[in-house]
Amino acid sequence: MADPIVVVIFLRGGLDGLSLVAPSGDADYIAARPGEIRVARKGDGAGIVLKNQAADADFRFHPQARGLSELYGAGELAVFHAAGLTDATRSHFDAEDRMERGAPGAGDGGWLGRWLRAAQPEGVLPALAVGAAAPDSLRGAAEIAVAEDLAGLRLAGGHGYSTAIRAMMARRLGNNSLIGSPLRRLLSLSDVIEARVALDKDGNLRPYVPSVAYPEGPLSASLRTVAQTIKLELGLRVATVDYGGWDTHVGQAGTFSGLVDGLSGPLMAFWRDLGADQQRVSVVVMSEFGRRLKANESGGTDHGHGNVMMVLGPQIKGGQMFGRWPGLANEALDSGADLAITTDYRQVLAELMRGPMGFADTTTLFPGFAPGAALGFLG
Amino acid sequence: MRLDRRQFQTLAMALLAGGLLPGRASAATPADPARLALNRLTFGASPAAIARFADLGKAAWLDEQLRLDPAADTALADRLAAAKLKIEYEAGNDGPNRSWPARSELIPYRYLAASGAEILALTDYATPMSYEERIRPGREVQAASLIRATHAEAQLREVMTQFWHNHFNVNAFRDEVTAANFPAYDRAMRASALGNFRTLLGEMARAPSMLFYLNNEASRASPANENFARELLELHTLGAGNYFNGLYDDWKAVPGANEGASQGYIDQDVYEVARAFTGWSYGDGRWIAEGDEAPRTGLFHYIDSWHDPYQKRILAHEFAPNGAPEADGNRVLDILATHPGTARFICRKLIRRLVTDTPDEAMVEAAADIFLAHAAADDQIAQVVRHIVMSDAFDTTPPQKLKRPFEFLVSLYRATGAEVVSPSLDFLWHLGQAGWLQHEHRPPNGPSDRSEDWANTNAVNGLVNLAFNAFEDWFGAAQFDVAAATPASAATWAEGFAYWHGVLGTGDAGEARTLLAEMDEDPDGLLPRDNPEWNSWLMRTALGMSALSPDFLFR
Repeated sequence: MADPIVVVIFLRGGLDGLSLVAPSGDADYIAARPGEIRVARKGDGAGIVLKNQAADADFRFHPQARGLSELYGAGELAVFHAAGLTDATRSHFDAEDRMERGAPGAGDGGWLGRWLRAAQPEGVLPALAVGAAAPDSLRGAAEIAVAEDLAGLRLAGGHGYSTAIRAMMARRLGNNSLIGSPLRRLLSLSDVIEARVALDKDGNLRPYVPSVAYPEGPLSASLRTVAQTIKLELGLRVATVDYGGWDTHVGQAGTFSGLVDGLSGPLMAFWRDLGADQQRVSVVVMSEFGRRLKANESGGTDHGHGNVMMVLGPQIKGGQMFGRWPGLANEALDSGADLAITTDYRQVLAELMRGPMGFADTTTLFPGFAPGAALGFLG
Repeated sequence: MRLDRRQFQTLAMALLAGGLLPGRASAATPADPARLALNRLTFGASPAAIARFADLGKAAWLDEQLRLDPAADTALADRLAAAKLKIEYEAGNDGPNRSWPARSELIPYRYLAASGAEILALTDYATPMSYEERIRPGREVQAASLIRATHAEAQLREVMTQFWHNHFNVNAFRDEVTAANFPAYDRAMRASALGNFRTLLGEMARAPSMLFYLNNEASRASPANENFARELLELHTLGAGNYFNGLYDDWKAVPGANEGASQGYIDQDVYEVARAFTGWSYGDGRWIAEGDEAPRTGLFHYIDSWHDPYQKRILAHEFAPNGAPEADGNRVLDILATHPGTARFICRKLIRRLVTDTPDEAMVEAAADIFLAHAAADDQIAQVVRHIVMSDAFDTTPPQKLKRPFEFLVSLYRATGAEVVSPSLDFLWHLGQAGWLQHEHRPPNGPSDRSEDWANTNAVNGLVNLAFNAFEDWFGAAQFDVAAATPASAATWAEGFAYWHGVLGTGDAGEARTLLAEMDEDPDGLLPRDNPEWNSWLMRTALGMSALSPDFLFR
């Protein structure tokens, strides 16, 4: 089988895990949240029950998470609740930084950057950060391509003198200490992409035609790029995708519904689009922290602590919730306010890297972290 | 008149004001002091700025820039008054009998100086109106920002205005209210850009755009909305380096707390600051209680009944219960604006912007001392900036910072003398492709000012695309006929390519010949002036190539 691939979808802003996979029957949950930012147990907007619950709390997916529920029901998606960064920070940028570096106070670069340096994957495009900048998780590795789509990796693509421009850039800046590395990557990718993707009469790349229709939305655009890259056999091993907007301090109800719809539908489309390539792909969905149990007075929730993580893949024992559910009683909460963390996010990632990704030395990825007993989500 | 190459080179050199030498092949050689300073303190070295800098010398040039009253820049005011921006939308409705007709018109800016009442009318949902009408003020600020950056005489103030926009980041298009009020936010940033930090902080905290962007307009007791409070501490004042939540879980344990002045903050301070700002809201006629509505001013409005009035303890300062209206929030801003942690955080960022990605901590401390010593001065920020610019480090640090996409684009226009008259907003899309979202950066941390964050394939390719597209008609931002600006004396391909490298200070005749060899073209062939379209495209290509050099890319 071809080399395994991990796709990390980061939900920036702090996903309200208590609304995505909601303990809808928990009396403390019901007491702490007004109806509009709580997943209901009956009526039109009722949540979708999960099988194999982690605790007797009537866990339900948000009603907009139909695609996630379907993947879970099919045994492909695993849910980890009360997971996250055990550090006490409730700052977005601090939490993202610590989480993506994966080595608080130690080591350099990010956890995926360290994997790239250690595993040294071959291939012209081993790491793709979809977007305008690479996340901290990829720091420390030189092999990263950053682009919204493959056309963005053609240096001066379509210019009549593109060959000369490439030669000029290599001559003037190829050894530049700051931009030499991304420039050299662009130069090699330009050639490969132009060889693999047909050009139209204007010299532009012909658009990618997925095997299924994706819903409209920003995550669809990103995931289409990942699917195309996988299918082109460019040697992809790691892809990162950002999906922001989860910082729902105010008027959470409507915003959150749209965000969940924008996550669930595109992820489902991506998974179907992969077809046989699913066999080598694992997808992680994570966020920097969860949100406060108790709502604020502006119809939103503030920064919290424990959260939901999800992993999707053929080697995953999906259709189950993993990790211990600590409950929402006051004495069980972190700082008396937030869902506690019983599963270190690194435990999930370490097991995934050791299992489907076949990289046993997880201490390199997460220095100072000693994995606990296996969560049991790998088949 | 046909010049030989020697004569042409003499002429091209003379064209460069200030007698500057043509550029060097590598940024490793010592940088020319004028270009070095102008690339950091303006949006790019224009021939006029180079001449002015040469006349005055650095210190006097700097003082002139710090002194310039932006209101006296009548040329810029005339430009803004003459500028037009398209408004375009289809016919629509937001309910039965609530429709609007389609519109497609090129019209002047209307809202840059608009009153609160005019702005409020745009978000009055009793009036059916296209979304494009409601957010028009934000679009005008975006378009005007390109005119200002290119043509403002008070360039340093513009650079600092961008600095504060980045520091106090607002995504102007978070919602209609944020967009409609964005001109006032932009005015506040510019007015205090070189002024007093506490004044600027107060303007920011009361600006409707910020009140909506970080949700404080909706914050009421209790629980308060913590969004603004957290970013006020983490991003606007003390900085994440002074966030001690991982170290201490009790306010008394934070260093300095027992002396009544904590050195940093923990979540308990965030909660208390959020309480202090409850009721800092917006005068949009909102319902407060039976028979009590906020006034319809379109301005900041304090709602006392939303305020949590009880005692608070913030950074170990005790706040008595039942303070006067707005007193809690104002006192928080007073404490933060004069906190040594804030001084260091702001000064480190200023040095990063104006000099280097790796500020020396002794330099940060020295600047922070100035910041704190002049905390009450009207020109506090100007004094800090002067201190940084007049430091030895400013002169001895080579240009190592990659221009960010907006800076790169504007510096192209300034170097060539292009006119930004009525930019269409297409340039925003092109900047976005390179990773720069002008006034639309979504998270509150603002765009990165560290070059390592821009040293990626997307940004590098984005700069390449900007270099070749900035002067195309369809780019729609600037008016500049590159072919017409190429002197007749530049007869051959080599002379044409050398000319534009000379203008940008990035290469000489030898470099032009090397390039033409890479292009597989005859350097001594005549430029195709009899084929204007091709000739024009060729000269735009020459200009784009000349910009893609370390001497022009780094500042």
